[in-house]
Amino acid sequence: MPSLNTIAFYLHRITGVILAIYLCMHLGFLTTVKTGEYSSLIKVTLSRQFLPFDLMLFLIGIYHGVNGIRLIIHEFGFLYRHRKILLYLTFIITAVLWVVVAWEVVM
Amino acid sequence: MRFKIRRFDGERSYWQEFDVPVKRGMTVLEALYYIKENLDPTLSFRASCRMGVCGSCAVRINGKPRLACETQVSKLKEPVKIEPLKNFNVIRDLVTDFEGFFKKHEIVKPYLIRKSEGEIRQTPEQLKRYYIYTLCIKCGACMSACPVAKNCLGPMPVVSAYRFNEDSRDEGKEERLKILSDHIWHCHFVAECSEVCPKDLNPAEVIQKLRLEVLKFSMRW
Amino acid sequence: MSFHNVFAVLMKFDVVIVGAGLAGMRAAIAIAEKNSRVSIAIIAKTYPIRCHSVCAEGGTAAVLDENDSFDLHAWDTIKGSDFLADQDAVEFFVRECPKEILTLDAWGCPWSRTPDGRIAQRPFGGHSFNRTVFAMDRTGFHEVHTLYERMLMFPNIERFNEFFLTNLIVEDNTVKGVTAIDLKTGELVLFEAKAVILATGGAGRIYGFTTYSHTVTGDGMAVAYRCGVPLKDMEFFQFHPTGLVPSGILMTEACRGEGGYLLNKNGERFMKKYAPERMELAPRDVVARAMWREIIEGRGLEGDYGPYIALDLTHLGEEKIEERLPLIRETAMKFAGIDPVEEPIPVKPVAHYTMGGIHTNVNCETPIKGLFACGEVACISIHGANRLGSNSTAECLVFGRVAGERALEYVLKRDFKSVSRKEFEREESRIFDELLGRSGDESPYAIKRELNETMDKNLWIFREEKGMKEAVKKIRELKERYKNVEIVDKHRGFNTDLIQTLEIGYMLDLAEVVAICALLRKESRGAHYRLDYPKRDDENWLKHSLAYKTADGVKVDYLPVTITKWKPTERRY
Repeated sequence: MPSLNTIAFYLHRITGVILAIYLCMHLGFLTTVKTGEYSSLIKVTLSRQFLPFDLMLFLIGIYHGVNGIRLIIHEFGFLYRHRKILLYLTFIITAVLWVVVAWEVVM
Repeated sequence: MRFKIRRFDGERSYWQEFDVPVKRGMTVLEALYYIKENLDPTLSFRASCRMGVCGSCAVRINGKPRLACETQVSKLKEPVKIEPLKNFNVIRDLVTDFEGFFKKHEIVKPYLIRKSEGEIRQTPEQLKRYYIYTLCIKCGACMSACPVAKNCLGPMPVVSAYRFNEDSRDEGKEERLKILSDHIWHCHFVAECSEVCPKDLNPAEVIQKLRLEVLKFSMRW
Repeated sequence: MSFHNVFAVLMKFDVVIVGAGLAGMRAAIAIAEKNSRVSIAIIAKTYPIRCHSVCAEGGTAAVLDENDSFDLHAWDTIKGSDFLADQDAVEFFVRECPKEILTLDAWGCPWSRTPDGRIAQRPFGGHSFNRTVFAMDRTGFHEVHTLYERMLMFPNIERFNEFFLTNLIVEDNTVKGVTAIDLKTGELVLFEAKAVILATGGAGRIYGFTTYSHTVTGDGMAVAYRCGVPLKDMEFFQFHPTGLVPSGILMTEACRGEGGYLLNKNGERFMKKYAPERMELAPRDVVARAMWREIIEGRGLEGDYGPYIALDLTHLGEEKIEERLPLIRETAMKFAGIDPVEEPIPVKPVAHYTMGGIHTNVNCETPIKGLFACGEVACISIHGANRLGSNSTAECLVFGRVAGERALEYVLKRDFKSVSRKEFEREESRIFDELLGRSGDESPYAIKRELNETMDKNLWIFREEKGMKEAVKKIRELKERYKNVEIVDKHRGFNTDLIQTLEIGYMLDLAEVVAICALLRKESRGAHYRLDYPKRDDENWLKHSLAYKTADGVKVDYLPVTITKWKPTERRY
């Protein structure tokens, strides 16, 4: 069983890759504004069936962002002694933010 | 007690199990010697001082890189799995190739660079600034734990560089920062090195501190 | 299985240094600093920073204070040696020590400091002045790392890590090179050299209860002895008073230097009976004997591993222990589960240092031309019958440098002498065909175990004729059995089974020399104490013993001791 440090590291990389792929898709999506297919596409993504994907995306984005902030704090040499607490906090904050956001969206 | 040891004979690698009678206070290294002397003389491993200062006997014990000589058998879960360090090429059984490791160490100029001569004074406070970082025994545990060490400098050489940078007798800080500016950015702050270091040196912290210094240096602050 | 198709690897260096501990690395640097064109190979069976020198804890003696003097250091050393040290060598040695301390300071050694930034010094056993320079209680560790790091600066020093010495090549009483097994590939490698410096350390693993690393098996000593170099004063083996029970890990003399007590089961500081003036800080032979007497006479404390003596540091307080003896605390906690801040450490005398060694003069030259020896492997002799604490690391530094400088002078006037292919093939066949290829029914490890038991029983602190005769007989029997060992591991790459079997062969030779020299010396001097001859006998025995290997076994000769200023007197502490 890998430690939480290692899990955090791999999650950060995986989420980063997913976000990069998403970003490409998103940009591709936006180019369709010119061709006029945009409005039909946006309808699909705004549908109820698409919601789970959105929620996953939020989770991935939030984790990558929060963990990124943690890493930046350490990289500037701060709060190193509290690195364990910060690590737990990262997961807690991610979870809380995600629940709040998901609640907003779903409701 | 059952030991599962990862063997490699140059061509084939496999697991082998041994039953070792355990005495109170027995260390993993003693268990390895017991196996070699009584059960299977072909088992190869490195060991020397058996008191945690020479750094020869680092292996992965139940997945975690540790010094075999200072790991008490009684505190381990059975079966005790013993494997060679990760991120090193295995030569034989638990023996890994350290040549590249010591080459990496050389890159950062890990020696006192000093042009001035004459009597040297250093107060205990100045000594304290770097002393803990002189304790690195170069066992390779941090390199084994680091997920990115295979493709970059890894934690150990950075600690060495920091040790000399902080030494009040040293005059080579700029040279080292210049070298480090090519190497220090690979760290992802997994901090696993700090978790496994048998001397509690916190390499992860040192790397972050040096990053800031390299940044300041490159921008000539 | 055939091993004949192995390609012979050949290397050529002006100087080959065998052993990469304090002495070996100091020698390499000494040469490289003076001459950047001389090629130097430093070969060792471990990586340099894995050497046994890292285990030295207490410190390095040197006269730095203006109230101290060279004569006083020399006198302490000579009195400590029970007057067997060569006094000219000691006088030279004490004058060189301070330079080495300052050199290491300029190379980055983290010496412990006084509040005003000078190098701090602590009291040590047998020294009548606080002259032991230290870096916490990890002095050897820091010195080794400092030298290793320094060595990286010189491109003409080439390091051959994990090469195991098998033989010296000597012709016409001149050394021509060495052969070594490259552990990684398992091939025999020939190093041709104009000069060879041996710095392979002591022979401590002939004992079972010892402070030595697993790797200290007297390789260089045995190889030189087999090539006809005499071994000097091998009967003198130092027993350190405080080895951790049960592992034998060293609890530095600095524990007592910083104020620790030795207590028996009645809680009394028994040293007042044996050395009323110096108490715990008498020389090691005196303290070890006193402790052993307490144990034998039933005043030891009883533990799971037999009787022991208590090393009490509790009155020093946590702050001082953390500041001056952090490694001791760490080790006691990790290996004995005892925090010295709270309870006394269980200790027992333990085999610690080989006073004897390869016979050299004060220039580190052996009787073979081009062969030098320095450090613990050599017997110069500055330690005589008993070494003072913190003189050994000093010796490695001082005489490492001397050996390097002398070897450099020597090689500048010499040419290479080629080694015949035949000689190399003979060595190859001795190891790979005769030893590795052979089948037999003896386990080398059983032989080693029995050797250790014999030495621990019969050549320990108190010796007598009967026991030593038994030991000689036993060792000879083990040597016979060794001819029938089988190495189970037939692989070539990293074959530690083969290496350890070779080491055991070395140890058997050395143990025989120790036992025979001890048996012949009919007196008590320094670390060599005989119950049947409990007095020192200057009339007959104020001389070094020299052991030669001959066709009919060990032959022992004697050599007078050099005395300059200090006449032997009674030794009181």
